[in-house]
Amino acid sequence: MPARNQQQWKEVPGQLKPGEYVDSRIYSDKKIFEEELVKIWKNVWVPVCHESELDKPYDFRTVTISREPVIVVRGTDNQVRAFLNVCPHRGNMIENRPSGSFENGTPSGAPKHMTCMFHAWQFDMKGNCVHISRSKEGYQDRLDCKDVGLRRLRCEVKYGGFVWVTLNDKIEHSVEEWAQGSFDCMQKALDAEPLEVFHYHKAIIPCNYKLWHDTNSEFYHDYLHYHNRITGFNDSYFARQNKVFDNGHVNVGSFEVQYDNYEGFESREELSFPHLPANHWEMIDLFPGMNFNLRGSALRVDLMTPLGPDKVMIEYRGLGLKSDTPEERLTRQRHHNSIWGPFGRNLHEDLIAVSTQQSTMNEWADERRILHGRYEGETIHDEVGMRHFYDEWGKWMDRWPGDPELSYDEGLKKAA
Amino acid sequence: MDNIESLISKTIYKASLYLDEFRWDEWLELCDKDFYYSIQAFSPEIDKNMIYLDGTYDQMKSMTEMLPKHNTDRSPLSRHTVVYTIDVDHDKGTADSVSSLAVYQTQLDGINSHVLAGESNLFMVGKYRDKFILNNGKPKFIERITQLDTRRLDKGSHWPI
Repeated sequence: MPARNQQQWKEVPGQLKPGEYVDSRIYSDKKIFEEELVKIWKNVWVPVCHESELDKPYDFRTVTISREPVIVVRGTDNQVRAFLNVCPHRGNMIENRPSGSFENGTPSGAPKHMTCMFHAWQFDMKGNCVHISRSKEGYQDRLDCKDVGLRRLRCEVKYGGFVWVTLNDKIEHSVEEWAQGSFDCMQKALDAEPLEVFHYHKAIIPCNYKLWHDTNSEFYHDYLHYHNRITGFNDSYFARQNKVFDNGHVNVGSFEVQYDNYEGFESREELSFPHLPANHWEMIDLFPGMNFNLRGSALRVDLMTPLGPDKVMIEYRGLGLKSDTPEERLTRQRHHNSIWGPFGRNLHEDLIAVSTQQSTMNEWADERRILHGRYEGETIHDEVGMRHFYDEWGKWMDRWPGDPELSYDEGLKKAA
Repeated sequence: MDNIESLISKTIYKASLYLDEFRWDEWLELCDKDFYYSIQAFSPEIDKNMIYLDGTYDQMKSMTEMLPKHNTDRSPLSRHTVVYTIDVDHDKGTADSVSSLAVYQTQLDGINSHVLAGESNLFMVGKYRDKFILNNGKPKFIERITQLDTRRLDKGSHWPI
C-alpha cells in the first residue's frame, strides 16, 4: 500500500465503519475536556482511596475529584465519610496534608477536630461545625454552627475496602449497581479477607485520560512489552476474553501467566490471592477511568484524575492481604513493582506509549482517525473494550466519538 | 597511598559514572557477589516505606542484560553525587556511607524529540545509603539503598539509579 496523500489520509481507511474509529479531537479539545468534567466525572463513583489508608478513627486522606478538593475521614464510630475539603467560611482548604490524623491538635485547632487553620473554625468527624471563633461577637444571632456544616458527599466502602465517593448527591446507583456485575470476576478474591495498600505512587503524564484507559482496555499493545510476550503469548493468552457490561465497564478474562519464562522472575503461585487460580490474571476497566488489575499475588488499582485535555494524574496502588507476614509482603511488593512500579518492566513502557501517542494529537494538529476496529471474537486483541467505552462516552457527552461535532443521535443516524 | 575513606569515596563516584554511562557490568564489578540493591521511598499518603525496585547481584545482572530487549526512554540520566559521611568499622572490615544524590534527565526520545531533545530536567533527589565490605583494604559494595525523596517519577525508568 503506497503512502497516502492528504485527502486519502483524511478518508476512513479500508472498510471501517462508524463506531470503529474515533476523532482525535476527543483527546485534545479543551471544550470537550471541560464538558467531560461536568457531564461525566462529577457524576460517577470514584474509588478515591483504600480504607487501610485511614485505619484508625480520626485518620484522613485528601483527594480531588473533578477539581473539587475532597477529604475522607474515619469517625469515632469507625465509619468512613467524605466531605468537600472546603471551609464554609472563606473557602479555604481545610486540610492540606495528603494524609494524617486529627487525633492530635494543630497549631490553629483542638485535638480530634478538623480545623481550618485560617480562622480556626472547627468541625467534627461527621462534618458538623462545632466552633466558630468569636461567633457571638461577629455574627450575633445571624449565623451559628448549625448553619455552616461541611458539604457532605455520598460515600461507600466497597470491593476489597475501596472508598468510593461521588460529587453527585442525586446519583441513581449504589456502587454495586453502577458496577453492573463487572466485579463478579474478582469480588470473591477481593472480599475474602481485609486488604492493605503497600504501594502508592502517582504519575502526571502528558496525555488525555482516555488514552490511558484505552491502553488498559486492549492487549494488542502487548507487542510493546517484552515481558508480556515472553510470559504470555500462547494459545490460552490469545483465547482470553473481553466481556462488556452496562455503564461502559469491561472485563479482561483470565489466563495462566508463565512467569518463569522471564529470567529472574518467579511463579506467583504461593501467594496468589484467595479464590484466584494460581498465576491467573483478571482485570476490570471501569468507566470513565479506573482499573482493577488482579495479577497472581498483587492487586493493582489505577485511578485517573484528568488535569487537562493533554494531562492526567494517574495514581497507582498496590495491595496485598492485611494478614501478610513481613516476608510475604516483601515478596508481593517485589512481584508488583517488578512489573508495575515506577522502575518496573511494563509500566514505564506503557507510559512512554501514551505520551508519544498524545504528542501527535495536540490541539494544533489536524484531526485524524484513531482506529478501534479490530474484531477477533472478543478475545484479547479485539478492540471491543474501547468501542464499548466510546459508545458509553458518546451517550454521556451527547457527542459522536467519530465526529464530536455531531450529537450522539446524529452520529447514530449517520452510521445506520 | 589512599586511606580507606578515600577508596570508598572513589568507589562511590566511579559507580555514579558507570551508571551514568550505562556501563552496567563495570558497575557490578564494584559490587560483592552478595550485593543487594534497592530503590526505596517513603509514602506519606499510605504512611509506609516502599520498595520500588530491588534485587541481588545476580538479579541486577540479569535485569541489566535484558534492558536491550525492552522498549525504553533512552533519555540519559546524570547523577550528581556528593559523599556526606563514611563510617569504617575496622574490626568488622565493613563501612557505611551516606551520599546526597540529584539525578538529571536530558531529553532524547521520551516524547517528541524534535521539540524536547536536549532539555535537561531534575529527575529525582534522594540519598545513597551504601554498605561496603573491605577485602584486603579494597572496598566493594555489599548493599546500596537508593532512598528517594522524589515520589512523582511520572514515566519512571527501566534503569537502576
